[in-house]
Amino acid sequence: MKPGAVIVGASHAGAQAAASLRQSGWQEPITLISSENFLPYHRPPLSKGFLAGDQAEDQILLRGEAFYRDQEIELHLGRVVTEVLPDQRVARTDSVAMPYSALILATGASARRLSVPGSALEGVHVLRDMADAKILKEQLAGAENVVIVGGGFIGLEVAATAAKAGKSVTVLEAQDRLIARALPSFLSAYLKDLHLHHGVDIRFGVSLASFEGDGGRLKHVLLSDGRKLSADLVLVGVGSTANCELARRLGLKLEAGGVLVDQRCETSAPGVFAIGDCAAQPNLHTGTILRVESVQNATDQAKMLAAHLTGRSLPPYGTNWFWTDQYSVKLQMAGIVKDGCEVLVRGDPASQNFSLLQLLGDRLVSAFSVNRAADHMAARKLISSKARLDRNLAADPSTPLTGAVLEREYQ
Amino acid sequence: MNSTVSVTFETAQGEKFAVEAPVGTTLMQAAIKNNVPGIEAECGGSCVCATCHVYCDGVDRSIIGEAGEQECELLETAAAERRETSRLSCQIKITPAIEGSVFSIPEAQY
Repeated sequence: MKPGAVIVGASHAGAQAAASLRQSGWQEPITLISSENFLPYHRPPLSKGFLAGDQAEDQILLRGEAFYRDQEIELHLGRVVTEVLPDQRVARTDSVAMPYSALILATGASARRLSVPGSALEGVHVLRDMADAKILKEQLAGAENVVIVGGGFIGLEVAATAAKAGKSVTVLEAQDRLIARALPSFLSAYLKDLHLHHGVDIRFGVSLASFEGDGGRLKHVLLSDGRKLSADLVLVGVGSTANCELARRLGLKLEAGGVLVDQRCETSAPGVFAIGDCAAQPNLHTGTILRVESVQNATDQAKMLAAHLTGRSLPPYGTNWFWTDQYSVKLQMAGIVKDGCEVLVRGDPASQNFSLLQLLGDRLVSAFSVNRAADHMAARKLISSKARLDRNLAADPSTPLTGAVLEREYQ
Repeated sequence: MNSTVSVTFETAQGEKFAVEAPVGTTLMQAAIKNNVPGIEAECGGSCVCATCHVYCDGVDRSIIGEAGEQECELLETAAAERRETSRLSCQIKITPAIEGSVFSIPEAQY
C-alpha cells in the first residue's frame, strides 16, 4: 500500500479533511478511521432534532455511503488506531497497517463525567456521540423528571427538547448565570427567561452531592445544601476533554487542553497534524491558544490542512461562529465573547428578533443574533475584516449591518 | 402507501441526477444521501449556512411552499446569484406532490 493520508477520527473535522483533500487533488490513498459503528454524521442534531425524533439516523449523515466509495476514501468503522510507529510512518489498527505521509489526528473530545457517588447509576447520561444519543432518546421517552447538570449549550438544548416533550425539567448550574463561558450576561439572562417561560426550573449556584438510586436505577439527585430532587433521568453536560491519548503516546506538545498546532494545523512532530475539537491553535482574534469545539472550527481547520497538504493557497482565516436552537430561538454567534466591550442591542429582545453586538472602540468583535440570520452572516464578514461601525446605524435594525460600516482594515 | 418519490437534480454543468427521496425527509437529505455534487449542506439542515442552495425553476410554489424569513435572509448571502426561484434545499420537505420535480444546483455554494 502506498503511503497516504491516515485520518484518525471521522466526525466533522476528519470527514471534511478527507473530502477536502480529494477536492484539492490529493492523489494518494486516504484512510478514514472511526471508532464508532455509524457512517459519519452531524453532531448538532443529537441534542435537538434527533433526540426529539424529528430526524432519523440516516437523515443526519455528513455524506451518503456512496460518497466514500466514489471518492476512494477508505472508511474503517468501529476501529481504533492502536499503534503508531513514527520512524516508519506507519499507523496500525488491530487489523491493518497503514503507511502514511500525513497522519491527521481528528480524535475529538469526550464528555466530562462526574465522580460524585452514584454517577454510574442507570439513568445518568452524557451526550457526545450517536451511541449516547440513542440511549438518551430511548430513556427520555419514558422519563418524567429530568435533571440537567450544567447550564451550557448541550444541557440547555436537551432541556428544551425535554421540555417540549412535556417532561418536568430542572437545570442545575454551578455559576450564577447560563453559558457564562461563551455568552455576554445579557444573553444568559435572555436564555434563562426563555427556559423559565417554557416551564423549566433553573437553580443557580448549586453543586451536586450525589445521585441516589434504587436497585441500580437513578431515583434522586442530592444537592450539597441538602435538598433532594426526584429524577428518573439526568444529563450531565459539564464540558469535555480532548482525546489526546495518541498524541501523548507520540510525544506531541499539548497545550490549552489540546494538541498544540500552528496555523497550518501542524503538530510538534513532522508529518503529524491535528484538527477539530482535539486541536489547540493560536486564535488570531484573541491572541491566545484556544481549543474550539464547533462545526465551523472543525470544517475550517480541515479545509486549511487540505490546502496546506496539497500545496494550494491557504484559505483566509475566518471568524469563529456557532449556533444553538432552543424552542423557537435560533441563536447564532460570530466572534468570541470579550470582557470590557461596549454592548449594542439591535432590535427588540422582546420580539425574539434582535442582535447583540460587542464593540471594542468602534470595532465589531462579536455578534449574537436571535433569529436574525442576515446580521449573523454580515457580522462574520465584518469581524474578519476588522470593520469599524457607526454606533447609531449599527443599533438600527432597519439598516443592514453592512450599512453601518465606517471602514474595514481588510476586504 | 407511496413512501418514496423521485426528484431530479441538475448540476450547473448540466449533469442530471435522479434520486429516490423518502416522504417526510428534506430535499437536501436526498442530495447528500445520494452524493449529488454541488450540495454541501455544511450545517446539516439547521438553516444556518446557505450551502444547499437550489433553483426551483418550473416547480410549482404550491408544492414546495415559500421560503421562510430566516431562509430568505440566508439566501441573500448565498455564494451564487439569488434568483426568484432560489431556495435552501434543507427547508424543502419531500411530499408526494414533489414527485418528478427538477431542481438546479448553482455553480457555487461558498
